Amino acid sequence: MTIEPMRLTVVTETNSAKRLRKRIFSVVAHVLLISASIVMLYPLLWMLSASFRPENEIFNATSLWPSSWSLDAYFRGWNGLRVSFGTFFINSFIISILSVIGNVAACSMAAFAFARLEFRGRRFWFAMMLMTLMLPYQVTLIPQYVLFLNLGWVNTTLPLVVPKFLAADAFFIFLMVQFFRGIPKELDEAAVMDGCSPWRVYWKIMLPLSTPVLATAAIFTFIWTWDDFFGPLIYLSDMRQYTVMLGLRSFTDSTGLSDYGGLFAMSVLSLVPIFLFFLFFQRLLIEGIATTGMKR
Amino acid sequence: MATSVVLQKIVKAYGEVQVVHGVDLTIEPGEFTVFVGPSGCGKSTLLRMIAGLEPITGGDLIIDGQRLNDVPAAKRGIAMVFQSYALYPHMSVYQNLAFGLETAKLPKAEIAVRVQRAAEILRIEPLLQRKPKQLSGGQRQRVAIGRAIVREPKIFLFDEPLSNLDAELRVQMRVEIAKLHNDLGNTMIYVTHDQVEAMTMADKIVVLRAGVIEQAGPPLELYNNPRNIFVAGFIGSPKMNFLKANIEGSDATSTRLATSTDVFTLPRPTSGAAGSAATLGVRPEHITITPGSGLKLADVRVDLVENLGGQTLLYTTAADGQTLTIMLEGQLQVELGSTVTAHIDPARLHIFNAEGNAI
Repeated sequence: MTIEPMRLTVVTETNSAKRLRKRIFSVVAHVLLISASIVMLYPLLWMLSASFRPENEIFNATSLWPSSWSLDAYFRGWNGLRVSFGTFFINSFIISILSVIGNVAACSMAAFAFARLEFRGRRFWFAMMLMTLMLPYQVTLIPQYVLFLNLGWVNTTLPLVVPKFLAADAFFIFLMVQFFRGIPKELDEAAVMDGCSPWRVYWKIMLPLSTPVLATAAIFTFIWTWDDFFGPLIYLSDMRQYTVMLGLRSFTDSTGLSDYGGLFAMSVLSLVPIFLFFLFFQRLLIEGIATTGMKR
Repeated sequence: MATSVVLQKIVKAYGEVQVVHGVDLTIEPGEFTVFVGPSGCGKSTLLRMIAGLEPITGGDLIIDGQRLNDVPAAKRGIAMVFQSYALYPHMSVYQNLAFGLETAKLPKAEIAVRVQRAAEILRIEPLLQRKPKQLSGGQRQRVAIGRAIVREPKIFLFDEPLSNLDAELRVQMRVEIAKLHNDLGNTMIYVTHDQVEAMTMADKIVVLRAGVIEQAGPPLELYNNPRNIFVAGFIGSPKMNFLKANIEGSDATSTRLATSTDVFTLPRPTSGAAGSAATLGVRPEHITITPGSGLKLADVRVDLVENLGGQTLLYTTAADGQTLTIMLEGQLQVELGSTVTAHIDPARLHIFNAEGNAI
């Protein structure tokens, strides 16, 4: 009878010590995480703040909060170059959207072939495709440039868009092959019994079940194409064809007459499409594959 | 109009490895044929070759007198029900049923009529607008069968369709498939590893082992006259008992056999030579422990008793260590460790030679 209360006391003390340790750990973890977040977010906040400041205050102010709020930099940035910034946005949109369509369509078709169709040399070509993943962009840049120059495509958007329709992005093909392999083969076979050709299996069965991987490919293609600076820099020389990233570079001037306010304002605007695109497509990412017609 | 299926010297090989070795089989029109056998025996491969999902390496597949080896799956007039149901997850039940007909470009009105008819047969009308994820296992299986029915195929193929269902639902679906066969009268080929399914549903059972047909025939023919030890052991539950024996002699009317514990005379001749080794096969349900109820087989010690309600199962061991399962009618109280005498009707005793073939 006397032993029971003593045991209870010990247990209670142990529990409260555990709770205290847990709380201290939680506080330390939160402090570290918040500090890391501030480090990560600070450049973005600084840029956002700078885009609303008067030009002379951008590099001198110590506070993130502007002394006065102004939209001048936005108006100046939009119309401050020889070509309106709206043109750059349209160019970037066209290239990015076409790249998304091209990549999703062509890579999914190539991935379907690798994952599901039997053809001579399938393993060899798959290995070759994977090997291209290991080639740095800079290695193929010059041969590619020469090819597009011979085709007369330099100073057009074609070199930036056409390769996307030719399943040139091995990373997405690999990603989709892995995803398609996870879809039960019995579904294809049931479709074959239902009279489907390989094209109809791809179109009616595989694609509708692959929204998460297609959305992933779409999001990353859009972001990478939108943010691409090097490709447009190499192939585009006419300012009317510039993308947003090339437009932003035009704000800085080697003579020292750079419009940093306009640069930061347009930089902020350039983030908006990416943010919206991600917001729209990320819903598809989390839907997940529905294989509930199968008994697993 | 039911359809015949003839397999002539069918061979399947993956590279150098041959998995089906020249199978010959005739399936009569309207027959319900069941392929049974252990895992890896080639039963599903054979079914998939008939379906057109696997290329045939050698031999001829003849359906209704036509060689169909190279005809695409969809044009063979065959529908298949998969083990995993393989319902299209992104389509409603109606769309699942209609998909094959849409692919065949049938008019919408015709599709609606066929889907409705199949739904009525399978009692899934209230489920037509649901997605597969909203269905139970049994309902999914019905939809999978419905998808086969709407195509009005000449032949139905079932690849272990009940193996994912629980025991109760399995029995229920078994009855429904059997009824469906009676109503439609189509030729059906059914793959299972469950010999109870095979015995209860089949007009003809085909027992396969390692890509070879061991025996094919009506269920009771296989039960009563198994051609070899493998078929004898595979058909029947609980499994047939096998006892080592020697043939001491045989004449026109009797055979003298010796087990390690007893010597007895069987009142029928066998083709086994005197002095040769043999295996006696006796089904648990054919053994009695009532004195004088048949030929004395052996005295055995009771190791375990299972009361199933309708029957009592005794797991026993003979003096030489060979085990014997005995299945008795009714609810019996048998003491563990006690010794009982196993008797057998000689007509029910199977004898196999050293190669395992019935003699």
